[in-house]
Amino acid sequence: MMTYIVFILSVIFVVSFVGFSSKPSPIYGGLVLIVSGGVGCGIIMNFGGSFLGLMVFLIYLGGMLVVFGYTTAMATEQYPEVWVSNTTVMGVFLLGLLMEVMLVLYVLKSEEVGVVFKFSGVGDWAIYDTGDSGVFSEEIMGVAALYSYGVWVVIVTGWSLLVGVLVILEVTRGD
Amino acid sequence: MNPLIFTTILMTVLLGTMIVMMSSHWLMIWIGFEMNLLAIIPILMKKYNPRTMEASTKYFLTQATASMLLMMAIIINLMHSGQWTITKVFNPTASIIMTSALAMKLGLTPFHFWVPEVTQGISLTSGLILLTWQKLAPMSILYQISPSINLNILLTMAVLSILVGGWGGLNQTQLRKIMAYSSIAHMGWMTAVLVYSPTLTMLNMLIYIMMTLTMFMLFIHSSSTTTLSLSHTWNKTPLTTTLILITLLSMGGLPPLSGFMPKWMIIQELTKNSSIILPTLMAIMALLNLYFYMRLTYSTSLTMFPSTNNMKMKWQFETKRITLLPPLIVMSSLLLPLTPMLSILD
Repeated sequence: MMTYIVFILSVIFVVSFVGFSSKPSPIYGGLVLIVSGGVGCGIIMNFGGSFLGLMVFLIYLGGMLVVFGYTTAMATEQYPEVWVSNTTVMGVFLLGLLMEVMLVLYVLKSEEVGVVFKFSGVGDWAIYDTGDSGVFSEEIMGVAALYSYGVWVVIVTGWSLLVGVLVILEVTRGD
Repeated sequence: MNPLIFTTILMTVLLGTMIVMMSSHWLMIWIGFEMNLLAIIPILMKKYNPRTMEASTKYFLTQATASMLLMMAIIINLMHSGQWTITKVFNPTASIIMTSALAMKLGLTPFHFWVPEVTQGISLTSGLILLTWQKLAPMSILYQISPSINLNILLTMAVLSILVGGWGGLNQTQLRKIMAYSSIAHMGWMTAVLVYSPTLTMLNMLIYIMMTLTMFMLFIHSSSTTTLSLSHTWNKTPLTTTLILITLLSMGGLPPLSGFMPKWMIIQELTKNSSIILPTLMAIMALLNLYFYMRLTYSTSLTMFPSTNNMKMKWQFETKRITLLPPLIVMSSLLLPLTPMLSILD
């Protein structure tokens, strides 16, 4: 099972994405987002990215999602929608689950899966201990490279986030 | 809106398009598109009434879907070629998905349904930005991937766009919807010649932007959004009626005016590549466009449209100064003799 841990985590990832994109009320979407964040962190950590997984937990779940949870708690309605309360939400959730189950069975049964790209069964997800990068781990070097070679990306992303805040304030301000 | 915030957001729209046009990494291009989309939403929603909200929401939904499709095409391209630089797209599936995504952003058929509704719901100035500046970024990406675009899909979308742009504009009296259908038709002309000669696409884009800019500024000058209110311009500023006549005929593609130049070049390029039925069809369908432009000129400049008697005696004249209108009018009507200069583009 440990060899296919990434595959299992990715299935849970997709199922939790289906869970919040079938649009129950935002508070339940946030709940499922916590699960998907944790599982995503697990996927990254399996590839050796311990720093990035910690980032996901600390900044994404512990910073952004907490603020989201507080604001949603202030603005939520008296009887928020769950997945089973509304037929539409339940229908979409079950449809997404069904498609994921069919895809998983297809991947598990056949040797080679070719949807848009080909990959050879579940084996493609297993991580072998390859690439001796020596003393430093690759993903910390990647983060460092973001600030040296990728200065433009940092500037553009930072500006987009700032303008995102300005835009949201403008849109919700009204008259 | 607070002027400082408005300037920042407007500059971000410009920055988004600039990032799309000058990046060599697919991810940066996607970021540029998203920045552009995010920043133009409050510009579309300048007045806070339900129509602008609805128009902005429709615009956001369609463009966000197109960005998602673009990202998928980028990732498929990454999987098959292993690199992120902009060159031609190597995988046919990725190429088709990317063409569809950019067609959704431009408003080509069958993804044209948002253009009239969004253009109608927003103010004239926002509509101007929507129909001119927002076309630059997707067109620049189409230009860069033009060697690998599937010809059948692009030509089908182009011809259908010209048809829909002509046919759909026939029953309209609202000026913004007329301009929207005109935009759909012109995008069809531009993408029809993209695979054969991308330079002509850029030429058509340039002249289309000039003409649309002129039209919108003339509408803003006379504050008219319907055919009926446009028909009163003979009373407000009689000179504007002549200018509207000339610019509309130029948009229709009539010979002594600049609008004829791109159509002529496109038909010539298409016939050089041994396709004769296609440019014939395109030219015939452009007549539909010309018909509703002619109808506008008929009610505006060629006749005094029926109105009540007290509307004929105007005593308060306001002067609005519209930037750059005279040069724009000159450029959108008198550029045809400069056509031999196009040889420097080769």
